[in-house]
Amino acid sequence: MTREKNKKNNIPDVNRLSDEEMTYLPIIEALVFSSESPLPLTKIREIIPGLAPKQINSIIEYLNEQYRQGGRSYEIREIAGGYQMFTMPEFAAFVDKLFQEKQQSRLTQKALETLAIVAYKQPVTRHEIEEIRGVNVDGVMKTLMSRSLVTISGRAQAPGSPFLYKTTRKFLDYFGLKSLDDLPKLKEIDELIDVDDEDRPYHETILREIDISELGLKENGNGEANNREENGDQEKSDQA
Amino acid sequence: MTYKVKLPVFEGPFDLLLFLIKKNEVDVYDIPVAEITHQYLEYLELMKMLDLDVAGEFIEMVATLMLIKVRMLLPRIASGEDEEIEDPRAQLVAQLLEYQRFKEVSGDFEKLENERRRYFSRAVPEEMRNKLNANDDELLDDVSLFDLLTAFKRALDNIPKVTVHQVNVVKVTMEQQVKFVFEKLGRRSYMLFSELTKSVKNKIELIVTFMAILDLIRLQFLSAKQTDNFGEIRMVAIQSPSYEKYLEARDKELVEESEES
Repeated sequence: MTREKNKKNNIPDVNRLSDEEMTYLPIIEALVFSSESPLPLTKIREIIPGLAPKQINSIIEYLNEQYRQGGRSYEIREIAGGYQMFTMPEFAAFVDKLFQEKQQSRLTQKALETLAIVAYKQPVTRHEIEEIRGVNVDGVMKTLMSRSLVTISGRAQAPGSPFLYKTTRKFLDYFGLKSLDDLPKLKEIDELIDVDDEDRPYHETILREIDISELGLKENGNGEANNREENGDQEKSDQA
Repeated sequence: MTYKVKLPVFEGPFDLLLFLIKKNEVDVYDIPVAEITHQYLEYLELMKMLDLDVAGEFIEMVATLMLIKVRMLLPRIASGEDEEIEDPRAQLVAQLLEYQRFKEVSGDFEKLENERRRYFSRAVPEEMRNKLNANDDELLDDVSLFDLLTAFKRALDNIPKVTVHQVNVVKVTMEQQVKFVFEKLGRRSYMLFSELTKSVKNKIELIVTFMAILDLIRLQFLSAKQTDNFGEIRMVAIQSPSYEKYLEARDKELVEESEES
C-alpha cells in the first residue's frame, strides 16, 4: 500500500526535475546500468555527494517514466537495499527461455513455511522453528542454507549454545523485497480466526435460517461482516 | 489398472490438525478432542496404506491428543485457591494458531516468489565474478568464523583417509606455517583459501596451517573475505607479508600480556 502511495506522490515530482537533477540523470542511469547487483543509495551518494535521497528517488522515477513512455522493455526496481535494472514481467516467457538452465526450482511448501518463520523471528534457533512447525527442520534448513537464503548469525546464549539463523540479502532479492521492513504482514491471531470464519461455507445457510428481526437488524438485512459473525457464533453455540 | 488418489500433503501434525478442524467446522477454541483424534488416526492409517512416510512427529501428536483427553476427563483436585483452571487444550490451540500464522504468510511468500521470477536483471557471467578485483571491498562480505570453519572442514574432508594409525612426532610448527603462508602469498594482494590448503597433504600440517592463518588474522596481517555466502574465501593481505614483522607483533603481545599480569 505504501508503495502505491509513494508512487502517487512522486508523479508530480517526475515532471519537475531541477536543472541540477537533470544533469545527474544520465549519470545515475549509467551507474544503475553498469551495476551487477542492487546499487545502494549510499553508494550513489558517495559517488555524487550532495544529492539527497529524495532527489535520487525522483530521478529514478523520472528514468522509469522515460522508459515507460519510450516503450522500453526494462525498468529500475528497488530491491534488496538498492536499485537495479530488470526486464518487465511481460517478457518473462521469452527471457525465461534464455535462462532455462540457470533458473532454480521453486521452493517447496515446507521450505516456504520454514523460511517465513526465520524471516519474522530472526535471529532464531532451529529448536524455535521446530516448535512452531511441529516437525524436524534439519533437511529444510540444509536446503535453505545451500541456496544461501538463510545463514548462521551466531550462537544463542542457551544450553548447548545452539546456532542462530537469519535471512540473507539473497533472500530479499529472491522475493523481490526492498528490505526486511518490506516483508508481507504477518496476521495477528484474532485476524486469523476472523478470516477463517468467513471462509467457512455454513455462514450463508445459517443466515437464511435466522430471523433477522429478532436480532434487531431489520434494516441491515444483507448483513455486515460483523453481524455475520455474531449470527454464526450464536447458531454454533445453539447447535452444540 | 492403477488408481491415482489425490490426498492433501500435510507438512506436519499441526497442518493435519488444522485441516481436520476446518473440515469439521469446529471452533478452534473448543476442539472435540475424541472425534478429532479418531479422524487423525484414520488419516495416519490412510497415509500408511498409501505408503507415505509417516514421520514420528505425527505419531507423537496422537499421544499429546490422548493426554489432553485424559486431562479433560479426570476430575480436578480443587487447590483451594480461586485461580482459573486452564483448559487442557489451551497450549495446543496456541501452537496451532501460531503455526497457522506462518502457514498463511507462506502463501504470500509464494506469490512474491512467482512475481519475482518474472523479471530478470542483466546476467553477470560466472568468469567475470571470479576475476573481480580484491579491492572491490563493497562486493566482499566479511567472513565469519563459521565460514572459515566450513572451509577448514572442506579442506579436511579432501585429505585422503588413512586407516592405519601411526603415532608421529609433529614436525610442523606454527612459525613454519606462517612462513609457508607468506611464501604462498608472495607479493599478491590476496590468495584463495583453497589454493593455500590444496598443497597441504596431511591433517596435522593442515591444522597447524589453519592455526597460523587464524593467528595472522588476529595480528592483522590478513583478513578473510568472500563474495557470496559459501563462496570462495580470499585471504587478503593487510600488511606486507614479512615474517620478521610477524615475530615482532607476537613478541610485543607477549610483553604486554606479562605486564598486565
